[in-house]
Amino acid sequence: MAMSLEDMRVELGAAMTSAQPGLQAANALCQACVEWLGVDGAAISMIHDGFSHGTFGASSESSRRVDEFQFTFGQGPCLDAAAAQQMVLAPDLDSPDEIRWPAFAGAVLGDGVRAVFAMPISITSICVGALDLFRADPGPLSDDHLAGGLLAADLASLPLLDLIASTKGSHVDDEDPWVQLGQLDRLEVYQATGMLISQLDVDATEALVRLRAHAIATNGTASQVAIAIIQRSLVLERDHDHRRSR
Amino acid sequence: MTPDTREHDIIHAFVELSNELVDGYDVVDLLSEWTVNCARLLDVAAAGLLLVDGRGLLHLVAASSEATRHLDVFQLQRDQGPCLDCFHTGTAVSVPDLAAESDRWPDFARVAESVGFASLHAVPMRLRDTVLGTFGLFGTTPGALNDDDLALAQALVHVASVALVNERSASDRHVVSTQLQHALTSRVVLEQAKGVLAAVGDLEMEDAFAVLRRYARDRGEKLTVVAAQVVNRELAGQELIDHARSTSVLR
Repeated sequence: MAMSLEDMRVELGAAMTSAQPGLQAANALCQACVEWLGVDGAAISMIHDGFSHGTFGASSESSRRVDEFQFTFGQGPCLDAAAAQQMVLAPDLDSPDEIRWPAFAGAVLGDGVRAVFAMPISITSICVGALDLFRADPGPLSDDHLAGGLLAADLASLPLLDLIASTKGSHVDDEDPWVQLGQLDRLEVYQATGMLISQLDVDATEALVRLRAHAIATNGTASQVAIAIIQRSLVLERDHDHRRSR
Repeated sequence: MTPDTREHDIIHAFVELSNELVDGYDVVDLLSEWTVNCARLLDVAAAGLLLVDGRGLLHLVAASSEATRHLDVFQLQRDQGPCLDCFHTGTAVSVPDLAAESDRWPDFARVAESVGFASLHAVPMRLRDTVLGTFGLFGTTPGALNDDDLALAQALVHVASVALVNERSASDRHVVSTQLQHALTSRVVLEQAKGVLAAVGDLEMEDAFAVLRRYARDRGEKLTVVAAQVVNRELAGQELIDHARSTSVLR
């Protein structure tokens, strides 16, 4: 049954909204991938400098186990997808032509997975992880399912940002995830992120997390916080959540 | 502009673009230069190119003016405006008198008029059946572009689409979307780099862009590469600012 991209967008977003932010939202998103994208399993990995790497959300325990093989062996499609910031498709891990990840392929074939499709999880210019889709049968993913996978990978950036932010005592709201993404993906947010890189002496991911955390804490939008930073009416402090206005 | 110099300028614009394509180029730098050339050739106040991302949203990738108030007018059209309508229909949208049509796009018309724009033409960028984005041309006085100018605008947009999408891969929708995403991500990094420089040198964003471009050109580096080095803190923002001061880009 063909499903429109717009319907997929709504279903994937709704799956996350109905779950608690963070890990549960990530798990719910992976389960929605299994339901809507014609695959048997899905997992979200965090791959970012300065934070622990590993599987975060998964559609099931077996998908989590399969995904973790990549970190056990230090190789796999999701690591390549994150490194190149491009999707990596492996429609048949059992094919003699498939020589990219021998150790990983051997392990997941043993678990009954023949095809893996990995999408980078990026927010603005920053790659924070990868979404892996697993299937028992070999063969390519349809165009529509691939497009749906890219949508899911966009959404997956939110629970990963939450994960990075939670180490700083931040919290999240239950707004429509597509609206949240749209608010972060704006010129003024990019520019303000750049200013924070310099002012807080942090990397781009950390700068975006800090900007978002401030928006949540003050009940404003990311765009409002960004404009205040650009106009120099708001200066975030270097340490954690202390802020001052001038 | 006299007919002779205009013809010369048109030839120059196409030749410049084709030379860049052969030499290996930075897509955002190339398109920024291209929007400046288009604005001059078509005698409009500002021109900007919006491209669609994987989610179907329009993003600004290049503009003839880096003034924040101009960039805002382009960004606003993600939600509303002639460029968005042009993108959805895949056909050109002409608005010779914006004030007369403010009911159609109330938020957009208000902001566009507040920065002095009175007319707008939006031309689609297409690749076979796919609309990749839209090119917006703004005037400060009411008035329509004549048919020749519209045809020229469309031709310039066709050529620019070649810079974005490699023709050999044009039939593969995912490759096309990856190539567009590359241009959009480059623009994001550029904006982030402008932010870093604005904070380091206490600059306006417009000046930060000039500082970045001056440095990249004088070092023979791609704009996006320098921007990424600044954002990743591999290159100190102060070094770029010092360079700009020594070359009188900044006072």
